[in-house]
Amino acid sequence: MAENLMNKLKILADSAKFDVSCSSSGSSGEGKGKVGSTHMAGICHSWSADGRCISLLKILFTNNCVYDCAYCVNRRSAQTERASFEPEELARLTMEFYRRNYIEGLFISSAVEVSPDHTGERILTCLDLLRNQYGFAGYIHAKLIPGMSPELIHQIGLRADRLSVNIELPTEEGLKRLAPQKQLQNILKPMNQITSTMMEQKTLKAPGHMHPLMDPVAGQTTALDLSGSQRRFAPAGQTTQMIIGATGETDQQIIHTSEKLYHRFVMKRVYYSAYIPVSSSSLLPSTLTAPPLMREHRLYQADWLLRFYGFTAEEILPSEHPDLELEMDPKAAWALRHLERFPIEVNKASLEDLLRIPGVGEVSARRILRQRRVASVKAEDLKQMGVVMKRAKYFLTCQGKYYGGKDLVENTIRGQILMEERLRYRLTGGEDQQQLSLFSGPGNWIPESHETGREGRAWPSIAMTEPSKGS
Amino acid sequence: MAVYRYDGTFEGFLTCVHAHYYQDPATEILSREPEQIRLLDPVTLLITEEDKARKVYEAIEKKISSFDLKRIYRGFASSEEGKEMDLLRYILLGFRMGRKVSSLHGDPVVRRIELLEGKVSMEIHRFLGLVRFSSLEKGVLYSGIQPDHDILEFLGNHFCQRLPEELFILHDRNRHKAVIGNRGSWILQAIDQDQLRMLGESGGQEREIRDLWRLYFQTIAIRERTNPRCQKNFMPSRYWKNLTEFDRV
Repeated sequence: MAENLMNKLKILADSAKFDVSCSSSGSSGEGKGKVGSTHMAGICHSWSADGRCISLLKILFTNNCVYDCAYCVNRRSAQTERASFEPEELARLTMEFYRRNYIEGLFISSAVEVSPDHTGERILTCLDLLRNQYGFAGYIHAKLIPGMSPELIHQIGLRADRLSVNIELPTEEGLKRLAPQKQLQNILKPMNQITSTMMEQKTLKAPGHMHPLMDPVAGQTTALDLSGSQRRFAPAGQTTQMIIGATGETDQQIIHTSEKLYHRFVMKRVYYSAYIPVSSSSLLPSTLTAPPLMREHRLYQADWLLRFYGFTAEEILPSEHPDLELEMDPKAAWALRHLERFPIEVNKASLEDLLRIPGVGEVSARRILRQRRVASVKAEDLKQMGVVMKRAKYFLTCQGKYYGGKDLVENTIRGQILMEERLRYRLTGGEDQQQLSLFSGPGNWIPESHETGREGRAWPSIAMTEPSKGS
Repeated sequence: MAVYRYDGTFEGFLTCVHAHYYQDPATEILSREPEQIRLLDPVTLLITEEDKARKVYEAIEKKISSFDLKRIYRGFASSEEGKEMDLLRYILLGFRMGRKVSSLHGDPVVRRIELLEGKVSMEIHRFLGLVRFSSLEKGVLYSGIQPDHDILEFLGNHFCQRLPEELFILHDRNRHKAVIGNRGSWILQAIDQDQLRMLGESGGQEREIRDLWRLYFQTIAIRERTNPRCQKNFMPSRYWKNLTEFDRV
């Protein structure tokens, strides 16, 4: 039995490793059990050799798939070993790992064996064993399979902390080409169901923590407090993930799609995963193509601007600039296009404006505001507060004085910033190091809560149904 | 002007703060015998006095804030050299500025404490994840850890809430003390090798689960993205010796 389990674990963890999310955040003190608890900011338990955080037992229930999506390692036509868990087996394994503090909980995803509902019911049985028989109160993230019945989704949601449905690709056209058996409407329907259910129970919270005025759920009353052992539906909200670089989409299409997902479905996170060639197909980049890791890194930076810095997709990627600059972070690139808004005086600016300054992050912006209430901010204080002065000096004044040299000239500043970035990458051993250190980290350290922007415009051909505002 | 030596406890440190005010201003505060004999500035040994410590404790809470009292306590858990004088400077600034002190982010004294506390808090958070229990013969969960800072007692509540029906021992192997969790409550106590031996060894099933975890750990990494520097950046290799996933079989 042990050998059999070893074999299953190997096959089904291997098939799950490309899933991006491993976050265990967004949930705290849900339901009481005999074992386990959840932590609002999430907890990382280990880091694998690729530098990604291990927080959850990330695993497929089965990799035995009836679909044949071109980009997927588990597609029906792939020559690979197949395995499926028994619900009891996976529940026990989760408990044994959890008790030893190896993991924060379970991230269960699956291929489609027989049908979405057949697989869904087996997953539900497993979650039910965990919650009701073993009294497990740790974290559960369940990935839903498009095409599952709404009742099944509801039952899974009542046992999970977080739900997700993969959007798979950033455009509908890409989806049609690479995953012809997956219908976009079948992906959007469960997303919408999750959002509506959370609205009804009043637990929906926008991602990030910016711009309450633009928050689609601002002003909503606080969550219904369910006492005792009753669990709420997906208290840690929903996320999704998309593959980058498998189809020919622009960064503009990607970021507009993300903005729309944040806006319409009030998702907690959109994850991006650089396409790693897993099969040779005329539809896909050649198997010799390196995964576009730098692009993925820039997309995450742009995503952070959406969720935490009050930017809109239109600002980050206007139609004249459909792709992010690989050599420069998107905030600096935006600032260079809008030099008329700079320099900003740090002793007068609002939080929103401080956050627009390259080199000023959320933490340093809030420190500036706090200190301003008791004492003015001097130039030598800025560095102590965590402001990256090398970058920020071109864009700010402190007590009226400008520290960026002669004046604000785009080409000069651009040259300086680029030189600095190149130097940094050389010093840290190349671009891979940089982006991977951002790849899995921030999501697990930064607590999540709200924000979004204007209407996006990727997905031009479909009408996403607006979630009805809570009554 | 005086160089003080105290017993290394928080109360002892607060006694030094008291002495700084009511005896001689401190130029240095040591928790150990200095390595070289000091002829010019002899060391005054201060015996911890609960009354004096309590006075300072209450003064910090009342005249500065309870936020800062907690911050000072956390900062004190640091094992960095010279933390005592840094904390003393913060307390002195706090007595002058009141609760505003923590907003003075540009002040080097405040910044120093932000960093000191930051490192301790970071390690506490890390260890919520980096603890690995083994299930011993008698059903007790045991974990040995070797954190840089003296953070053991900050982990007690978390693991107690998480394992409300278990008996567990979370052992700081360098500082020879342990959090003993007993079905929802915990105590901190000194522990020695003999007591540990009485708990027995880990059983056969334990070995199986460890093998499964090691296998999972190796399988979940994406080969195309291998990045040992990034891995070590998040999880420095000094922690590895107590982690099941790095056990040599």
